[in-house]
Amino acid sequence: MLTSLYVEGQSWFHRVPVRLKLAALIVLSVALFATNAPLLLLPAFLLCGALYLSLGMSARQAFSRVGFVLFTILVLAGINLFLVPLPQVVALILRLTTLVLFAAAVTATTTIGAFMDEITILLKPLERVGLLRAADVSLALGLVLRFVPDIFARYQAISEAHRARGLPIRPMTIIGPLIILTLKDADTIAAAIDARGFRRQ
Amino acid sequence: MNTRDLVLIALFAAIVVVLGLIPPITLGFIPVPITAQSMGVMLAGCIIGAKRGALSFLLFILLVAIGLPVLSGGRGGLAVFAGPSGGFILGWAVAAYVTGLIAERFVHPGNSEARQFVGFFLASLIGGIVVLYAIGVPWLSAVTGTPLMTAATGSLVFIPGDLLKVAIATLAARAVYAGYPLLPARA
Repeated sequence: MLTSLYVEGQSWFHRVPVRLKLAALIVLSVALFATNAPLLLLPAFLLCGALYLSLGMSARQAFSRVGFVLFTILVLAGINLFLVPLPQVVALILRLTTLVLFAAAVTATTTIGAFMDEITILLKPLERVGLLRAADVSLALGLVLRFVPDIFARYQAISEAHRARGLPIRPMTIIGPLIILTLKDADTIAAAIDARGFRRQ
Repeated sequence: MNTRDLVLIALFAAIVVVLGLIPPITLGFIPVPITAQSMGVMLAGCIIGAKRGALSFLLFILLVAIGLPVLSGGRGGLAVFAGPSGGFILGWAVAAYVTGLIAERFVHPGNSEARQFVGFFLASLIGGIVVLYAIGVPWLSAVTGTPLMTAATGSLVFIPGDLLKVAIATLAARAVYAGYPLLPARA
């Protein structure tokens, strides 16, 4: 149900360490917003576009991942045409599209495991001050992935029950029971986690 | 934070993911589809309170960032934050927090039913619309260079749908509060 947006592949970008990719994304976003010059933005756009397309996805797959965001950018650019001088609109489209393509390339070449390792390292300082525990974050993340299919099955069971009684399926009548039934499990799950000593409390 | 709070945070994030899988409803008179997912902000604050609600959304944002397609329509990944509406996604955590603060303040077990409805309504409205747009719109304007006023006026298209979400969230939050109250801030 929840397949990661990671794409299997052997491209050179797959082999770049996560930290470097994330750092590059931050540097790129600062750099792109610092300039309006098409002479700088256009090559950046072409490079990121080429990078994104070189990751081993079909054109269709590549487009469907970023299509929605690109659509929003184009709509906003369309509105901007009436308000802002043309060169600035062109700069906006190039800058945002470049950034989105680079971000999508990072997502496509990084496994969830690799992201999690990096996040654990980033959380270390917070852990040292006692704000949270990195292990808790991974545990919570695992719980979400584990329970999404169960909750979805429950949603379907509730809508089946509605249908069987001839009731219209409306979010108002479904969300309440869905939330109550799900959150009622919290005590059982918490007890199971503590019984296994996962959190060492 | 005890284990139960941790589990509640995770389960609520999972509920928000599921809300994104529910097919959107299109109303004849509003051009924008209503996805159940953005209602999650209001629900999180009203049902599990400020702190747990906000953490639940931070967890959800983390899921988006590490490349899981948990946003409605199977969207996800870092590209969403790089796009123009990234501020709305990041604003969800703050919006859930404010919703929770107001709900915790105004809704008490002893209140009349009507008073509880009003409390949840105000919490969802201020947290889920006012605060969220106060973060999302200036962000969009800054990122795209669209003048702030135009961005704000353009967002008005989404307000009718959001008001409908406030109404549904109010009813659902009060139903959960009556059946299984979690709001009393224990976190």
